[in-house]
This record gives sequence, C-alpha cells and structure tokens, in this order.
Amino acid sequence: MSSAILWAPLAFGLLGLFLPQKAVGWWAVLGTAVTLGLAIVAAVGFDTGSSAMQYAVDEPWISGLGVDYSLGIDGLNLFLILLTAVLWVGGVAFAAFREQERAKSFFFLMLVAETATLGAFLAQDLLLFVLFFDLMLVPFYFLFGAWGHDRSGEGGITASAATLKMIVYTLIGSLLMLVAAIATAVLAADGGHLTFSLAALNEHGLGEGSQRWIFWFFAAAFLVKMPAFMLHGWMPDAYRAAPLPALIVFSGVLAKVGAYGFLRVVLPLFPDATVEFQEVILMIALASILYGSVMAFTQTNVRLIAGYSSVAQLGFITAGIFALQADGSDGAVLQMVNHGLVVAPLFVVVALLLERTGTEDISEMGGLALRAPVLAALFLIVVLATLAMPGSANFIGEFYILNGLFEAKIVFAFVAISGVAMSAYYALRLYQQTMHNRKPEGLLSREIGLRDGLILVPLVLCIVGLALYPQVVLERTAPSVAQTVAKVRQNEPPESRLASMSLEEKAEVESGALKIVP
Amino acid sequence: MSATAWAWLVLLFPLLGSIVIGVGFHALPQKVAGIIGTVSIALAFACGIGALLSLLGEDPEARHHASSLWDYASVAGLDIKLGIFVDPLSVFMVLIVTGVSTLIHLYSYGYMQSDEGYHRFFSYLNFFVFSMLLLVLAGNFVLLTVGWAFVGFASYALISFWYRRETATRAGMKAFVINVVGDIGLVLAAFLIFRELGSFDYGTVFEKAPEVFTTNEWTITAICLLLLVGAFAKSAQLPLHTWLPDAMEGPTPVSSLIHAATMVTAGVYLIARTHVLFELAPTAADIAAFVGLATLLVAATMALVMTDLKRAIAYSTMSQIGYMIMGVSIGAYSAGMFHLMTHAFFKALLFMAAGSIIAAMANDQNIDRMSGFGKAMRFTSITFVCGALALAAFPGTSGFFSKDEILAFAEARGGMYLIFTVLGYVGALMTAIYSFRLVFRVLPGRPCKEAQELIDTGHVAHEAPKNPATGEPEDTDVGFPGPEHHIAEQSLPMRVAMGVLAVLALVGGLIQIPGVDDVVTKFLDPVWEGSPLAAIEPTLGEDYTGLGIGGVIALLGIGIAYVLYVRRPELPRRLEQRLRPLHTLFANKWYFDEAIDFLVVRPALAIGRFANRTFERFVVDGLVNGTAETVRGAGGVVRAVQSGFVRSYALLLIAGFAGLALYFLLSSS
Repeated sequence: MSSAILWAPLAFGLLGLFLPQKAVGWWAVLGTAVTLGLAIVAAVGFDTGSSAMQYAVDEPWISGLGVDYSLGIDGLNLFLILLTAVLWVGGVAFAAFREQERAKSFFFLMLVAETATLGAFLAQDLLLFVLFFDLMLVPFYFLFGAWGHDRSGEGGITASAATLKMIVYTLIGSLLMLVAAIATAVLAADGGHLTFSLAALNEHGLGEGSQRWIFWFFAAAFLVKMPAFMLHGWMPDAYRAAPLPALIVFSGVLAKVGAYGFLRVVLPLFPDATVEFQEVILMIALASILYGSVMAFTQTNVRLIAGYSSVAQLGFITAGIFALQADGSDGAVLQMVNHGLVVAPLFVVVALLLERTGTEDISEMGGLALRAPVLAALFLIVVLATLAMPGSANFIGEFYILNGLFEAKIVFAFVAISGVAMSAYYALRLYQQTMHNRKPEGLLSREIGLRDGLILVPLVLCIVGLALYPQVVLERTAPSVAQTVAKVRQNEPPESRLASMSLEEKAEVESGALKIVP
Repeated sequence: MSATAWAWLVLLFPLLGSIVIGVGFHALPQKVAGIIGTVSIALAFACGIGALLSLLGEDPEARHHASSLWDYASVAGLDIKLGIFVDPLSVFMVLIVTGVSTLIHLYSYGYMQSDEGYHRFFSYLNFFVFSMLLLVLAGNFVLLTVGWAFVGFASYALISFWYRRETATRAGMKAFVINVVGDIGLVLAAFLIFRELGSFDYGTVFEKAPEVFTTNEWTITAICLLLLVGAFAKSAQLPLHTWLPDAMEGPTPVSSLIHAATMVTAGVYLIARTHVLFELAPTAADIAAFVGLATLLVAATMALVMTDLKRAIAYSTMSQIGYMIMGVSIGAYSAGMFHLMTHAFFKALLFMAAGSIIAAMANDQNIDRMSGFGKAMRFTSITFVCGALALAAFPGTSGFFSKDEILAFAEARGGMYLIFTVLGYVGALMTAIYSFRLVFRVLPGRPCKEAQELIDTGHVAHEAPKNPATGEPEDTDVGFPGPEHHIAEQSLPMRVAMGVLAVLALVGGLIQIPGVDDVVTKFLDPVWEGSPLAAIEPTLGEDYTGLGIGGVIALLGIGIAYVLYVRRPELPRRLEQRLRPLHTLFANKWYFDEAIDFLVVRPALAIGRFANRTFERFVVDGLVNGTAETVRGAGGVVRAVQSGFVRSYALLLIAGFAGLALYFLLSSS
C-alpha cells in the first residue's frame, strides 16, 4: 500500500511523457486522483488506537551501507500524506485548466515532486528520508526557474536569480543533513552493524556530545525549509517568482516536511539534545511568529502576506513540537494539516484575483465582492481559518499548541499568543482590502467559474469538515505522538515529569497504579 | 422533551436559517429570505419557551443539565466535547436573546427592504443570533470561546455590512481586533483553569474550584482578571470600549441587536456564569465593579455631549452595561440579569425609533439638524419617549425597578459598596438628563426640512445618501438603502416590533416589584445556590427608599433636560462655554482613541516599517547576499577548475562538509 501511494504519481508522470501535449494535463490529474484514492483507502483502513507503524514495507536496499527501502504510515504522517494527495490534485487540476507552456515537462515535474514529497513523509529509513527530502526540491528548482515570473521594478529579481537564492539556502541545509544522517548511523553502529532504519536507530541512543551537533545539523535543514526567522531570506523572492500552481502545493506541503522532520527524526533520535536546546528552538519559533506576523501586516503583495503568515504559522507549529508535551505536538500535527488546507486555497484565490485584476497588490484592489459573492464567501472562510478563528480546526490546533506551551513554558505561551491578535489583523486586512472598500476605477471583477469552483469548493469543504470534527485527526495522531514525546521525556528526572502530568495521571501515580520509570 | 433537547433545537433553527438564506441567495425571493430569517428566530424563541417549561417542571435543585453531541477535540487529557449546559441562567439568556431578536428581525424585514444586500443581511443576522445562543448555551470554556468569537465575527460582518463605505470597514476591523483581544483573555483563562483544575467543563470546574483554590490566591485572581479582559472587550467597558461608538456605522437594526440587546451583554453573562470563580477572587470582582462604575460615569458624560443620535445612544448602552457589570460583580446577580433584560427591551426600542428618524433624515444622524419630528412621526415619537422614560428610570417603568435593585443591593452589602450606590445615583441623574436631551432636541420644535417634507407630502426625503463622516456619496450597489428609506409610520412590521417593545419597556419591570413579586429572582435563584453573596437581600425599607430616591432623581433629570433644551435653549451653549475644558474632554471621548493610537497602533506600525524597510533588507537579505559574495570570491578560485557558480558552490560545500564529518567521526570514536 505504502509503495503504491509512493510510486503512483511517478508512474503516471513517466507514462505521461508518451502522451500528446493536450492530454497530458488531464492524465496528470488522473494520476494525482488515483494517488488520493489510494491514500484515502489507507486512511480508512488505518487502525485508530495504535501507535505502531502500519502498511509497513521493509526491504534491504543497499545492504552494504545498511540502507533499507523502508516505508510506513502512523499517526504522525497519515494526515500529511492525505494532505499532500489532496493538495496535489488541486494544484495539478488548477494547472490543467489553464494553458501551460511545455506542458509535458511541467506536469512531469509536478508528479515527480509529488512522489518525492510522499517519499519524505513515508520513509522510515533515515537515508531514504534524506534522499527524498533533497529530491523533493529538484523539480521545484526547475518549476520555479523555468515557469516562474521575473519581477521588475524596485526589489525586482529574475525567476532564475530567485531560484538560485533558494538553492543556496536549501542546499546548505540539505548537505548538513546528509552529513548528520551518516554520522548518526555510524555513531549508533559504533563499529557494529551499520543501519539507517529509524526503528533501529531509536533503540540505540547516541551519546550526548554527538547528539548536540547532529541536532543542529538536522535543525538547520528543517528550519530553512519551514522557513524560520533569519533563515527565511529565500522565501519572499521565491514566492514572488513561483508559478502559482506549483506554489499551491509548495506552500501547502513542503514547509510541513521540515516540521515533520523534527517529530520523526529529531525528537526520537536526539532526545537529550532536544531537551537541552528546547528553549533555543522555542526562541526561534517565537521570533518567527512575531516577525512573520509583523511582516505580514506591512506587505501589500498578496503572495508575501500569505508567505509571511506561513512563517508565523510554522513558528506556532515548531513551538508546539518543542513544548515537548503530548498536547502541544498533537496540536502541531493538526496545525500542519490545517495550515496546508488554508494556504493552498489562499494561493488559488491569489491566482484568481490576479486573473481578474491583473495585480497582486492589495492597495490596487478593492470592492470585488459585489460581482463575485461566491468567491468572496469562499475566500472569507479560508481567511477566517487562517486567522485561527475559534470554531475552526486551526483554532483547535493553536489551542492545543498553546496549551502545551502553557504547561511547559508559560512565558513563551504569553508571548506567542500575541501572534494570534496580529494574525486577526493581517488576515482580515487581506480580505477587506481585496473584497471590500471602494473599487478602484476600471478594476474588473467576476464570479468564480465552475472549473475553479471545482478546485476551491472541495478544499473549503475540507476546512469546514475539519472544523466540525478535528477529533478525526487528533485521535489518530495522539498514540504516535504520545510515544514520541514519551521518548524525549524518559530521561527527565521523575519530579519534573510528575509536574507536567495531567491530574488523572498524578492521581494514578499517587495511588501506585502508574510508576515512573527513571 | 428534555430541556437539553429543546436547547439543541434553539441552536439549530438560527443556524439553519443562516445557511439556507446564505446558500440560496440567488434563488430565494427577497420576501422569502426575510420570512425565513424571522421565522427561524421565532422558532428558536418557541423552543426556548419549551426549555423553560421543561425546567420549571423540575425540582429547583435539579435544574441544570449537560448534554453533548460528540467529542470535539479530546486527546492528551483535554476533555473538549461539543456540549451544552442548560440551567435557568442560560435559558433566561436564551429567552431574552431570541425574544428581542425576533422583534429586531421583524423590524429589519421592513427597514432593510430597499437594501440590495437584503439576503446577506438576514443570513448574517441569523448567524449572529446563532453565535450568541452558542455563547450562552456552551457547556465548556472552549465552546464558550467559539461562541464568543463567532459573535465577534458576526458583529464585524454586520458593522462593515455596507462594505464599500470605508468608515464602516475600518470600524468593523476595529471591533474585530478588540474582540480578538478579548478572545485571547478568555483562552488564557481557559489554559490556566485547565492547568489548575484539569478540565474545561463547567460542571467539573465549578465543582472543583472551591476545593482547589483558597480565597484570593494569585491563580484564581489571574483567572478572573483574564476572564474580565474578555468580558470588557465584548461589553465595551473601559478601556476596551472604543469599538462600540464606531460600530454605529452599521445598519440601525444591527445597532439595536448587537449593540443594545445581546452582544454587549455577553460580559455580564460571563461574570454571572463564572460567579463561583469570582467569589473566590473578591479582589478581581471588586476591580470589575470599579471598572463598571467608571464606565457608567465616563460613558454618561460622553452621552451628554454627543451630537450624533446613534452614538449618543451607544454611549448610553456602555453606561448601562456598566451598571450591569457593577451589579454582577458585587453579587447582585439576579438584579444585574434583570437589568440586562429590561435594558434589552428599552434600548432595542430606542435604536429602532432612532433608526426610523434617521431614515426620515436620509441617513443623517446629527441631532443638531433634527427637530419637530414629534409632529411628523407620531408613532416613532411615542415609542421613542417610552424608551427614553424607561432609560431614565421614570417611576413605574421597567428601568426604574431594575436599576434600583442593583443600587439597593450595593447599599445592603454596605461598607465600601455604598460608593456604588451613591455614584450609581449620580450616573442615574446624568442618564435622565441625556435621554431627555435627545427627546427634547429631536421631537418638539419647528419641524426641520425633512420633517416638514414628511408632514407636507407624506414622503421621506429622497436625497442621494452621503457618508456624513467623509461626504462621499454612498455606493448603493452593494446594499445601501439608496434614496428610498423606510420609516415605522409606513411599515407595519416595524410598527409591530416597536409597539411590542414599547409595551415591554413600560411594564416589563412589573414582574419584579419589591415586596410584591419576584419572578426573575425566584427563577434564577438555583443558579447561585450556595453563594453567600446572593443570599444578601436588601430589606423592604431599603428597597423603597432606593426606589424613592431613584424616582426623584429621574424626575429631576428630566426636569433639568426640560429647562436646558426646551425652556432656555440658549443655556447649554453658555454652559458649554463656561465649562470649555470639560466639554472638550467629553466631546473628544476622553481621548481614549488617541491614547490607544499612541500606545498601540503607532508603535506596531513603526515596528512593521522597521522590519520591512530596514531589517529584512539589510540583515536577512544581507546574510544571503553576504554568503553569496563570499562564495563568489571563493568561487573565483574554483572557477579555474569548474565553470558555473552553483556547481562549484555545491562541490565546495560537499567537500567542506565531508571534511567536517570526517573530523567529527574521527574525534568522537
């Protein structure tokens, strides 16, 4: 099952190369739809209460190096795989509805990107993870560079220059991670049998000294990918250059691979370093929240508003993970899904606004709601979810994250929550300045068409559905998350573990039903 | 049927109404949309009655029920269910909200008839009622926050309903952001409650709180203060009130619904709901009471000088909510809720009457331009006077009994709390003056141009509407009433709504006359069971002295207003000159807006500008440009070997890191 999900997009992509230019778009849509179908089947058959790896595949691949072809689905990646599958259908369908230059290569690259991304989520072997993580960016380099937009004027930059900037950043991260992965396996083997299997590496703890530097090598790669504050320099230019169909999936999924990496790799493999550097990472997360929010409300380009708001949102997710509490990480996983589900439709709307008005600058837009009430209503739902309006699943995500942070580091929680107030302002401002207020002379507006409706409405329905029942994600995520967090906390002194327990657990400990194993 | 089943139905109808109207806006004829909207709220009211009867059929001690539909988000020890809590307090609120809302929908049915956004309006209005009901029925702090925020959003949507009017969209944004600040207070309070008590559920929290907390412990005080942030933001108490007057940009039925009858009372409800916590934190409760007192006085001074009809009534709302907040904070729970009810009647009515007058003025709200409407609009004037009498607490009217009950309680509690009685009466005097200032400025006298036209032709003024704040012509495409406005005299639904409310404003207080009957107190008593404060009861003597003083003050205030605005209309101008600094302070709304602008908005924008223009360009970009420069320099060396910048860079990195890795490997083994 895992293999089928992983290779389906690539298979369709390769076959698509033999089809005529006209049909290739729809063929790609079919490919992503089949992948989504497979992912849904996997989700339906998923055993909810279990923290074990399901649909696991484990074959030796390069046995000399101890690299396995090992895939699997558990609570951490189930919904990220679904998210990937959903957003790729949307992004590819969006592109298929429009003329694409060099359509064959475009759709081929899109499908390669999907396989690579799914691979990063599915991989249960460290080297396999690193490989897919790096492979994931390759198609996007080409998509951004060759199909992107050159920007003229102040701060203008060509698409290839923007892509280059992105390469510089991500390459550093990737190489650091490669080195770190090799080092992890070698050090864990300690002269014995070399293996990259995550399950095996979980068993062999590394010494604290090595954990310390390897932690930062991985962290650097993941923080660049998110991007986190100070490492986000590539983001504004790349976002402005990117072709919108590619940006829909890129913004929706790729940033989450970084956050996911923390949960999958860093927390279980480097628990001591995680505890040691908890506050440093939290500081970076807070800085991302505050800086991203402040930047988001000063921008006038819609892509950058969405981009900087993502910096802030990923800051929340990181903070949730590094609260090192079960609820914080549960919230983080939920929020990864939520954020993907709001930022992708946000870019669909950006594309539609661009087609209608010819501009991406909110100061040149206004009053569009009158001729496009349905588009306005859909946009409004997306915006409200973006600002984590209570009643949306995003609120539950943030609520869990902040509650975890509140239990762990109360001061951080108080600072982080100011980001919530700012998000209300920048998200609503985005809506208001495009849909409401006076309409500039000569600006055209029209209702969303049926085809784009077919893309936007299902995404909005996902948002609404999750808003009504976020438990569907939480209850499947919780067992795996609990295991991961417990792994980190196992070395803590018993008193501090007692302090962070829920009241029921404390009562159990007192009555002797639950024992704290040092 | 059980009370909880009725309560779920109460929630269902407005939500359904909102969705049906919202989704079917293309297909539904305007009339049908209005009818669906109004009927769905009326059905909710009927179900509210059902819940009431079901509760009354039970033992007073057993009148509280929890019910939940499904696990909303319950993992990792958090217990968040989609659950409601039904007890006399929530049912009381449900009845007020749905009852008054039904009338307001009826009024809107007529008032908004020529508005292009009719469907949207009813969809929003129904959603608003749903949100408010969710707020009062929620069974845990998370769902409370959801209702709380939905109400904030609905008010945003309705305030900026005429969305091409930039003053309106700005006002909507302001209301929304201040409300989010309130939401955050609520969320933080919930976190702290969870940390201490391990639950978000009302039942568990209120049961455990007295066991876990000692009186005035810092945690419980912090929880209550955070709850108060939420309460103050929603109920427009100092200093989070600045959104309320600006919110008058919305259509008048919105002002009537949100800014008079329902939304702004949420804070009062919250304090009453969590009274168990506030009784454990008397310091926080006293702070709330003093803020309420300060708000009621400050707002009253502003209401005295406002020349905008709706804004003057808005400040009066703030002031009246101040009484309620003060009441529930000092322990006068039933009295506070009683005042909430009577205020809903008379304030909704005042806004409706004001809306009718404003429509006749072609949307001009300046009272300096109004006069003589008594002759031109008989029905509107009579109802306006009814509302003003109740607001001024004229003996026998509903406001008379409810306001004095709060003040009498403060007196009975004695000690420091006498301050609230004394200053409460000062506020009452101002209330009587400003309410009749409006009456005497607008109704008697020589008819102004619009009033004269109405008398002569029977038609409402037909000028193209202009935004009084900016002078811009209104964009009537999106749903501004356009030249055709609707007044009560020409619309039966409006008259029915106003007529019912006028009767309630006058006689609504008769259900609770000291020594005669106590319907409200008796019904609500089980909610405050075990509370030592709720057991305090003013003696009959205290009650009637209070009523006596209150009556005299009301008459005195009305008399002063009569002298100032009818007998000697040159006096106010002279007073204004004599008290120039004071008048400037009041007219500029005590400079709250300017202070917030200076302390919050400007610094935030400055930080944003710095981040955008300086930091991002020189530090963040500088980092990558710096690395690029370095690499280019280094690349020059490599270029001899390899051409192409990226390739050489990658190679360099691989070599570098391989070396680094090797170093680490060797050193750590």
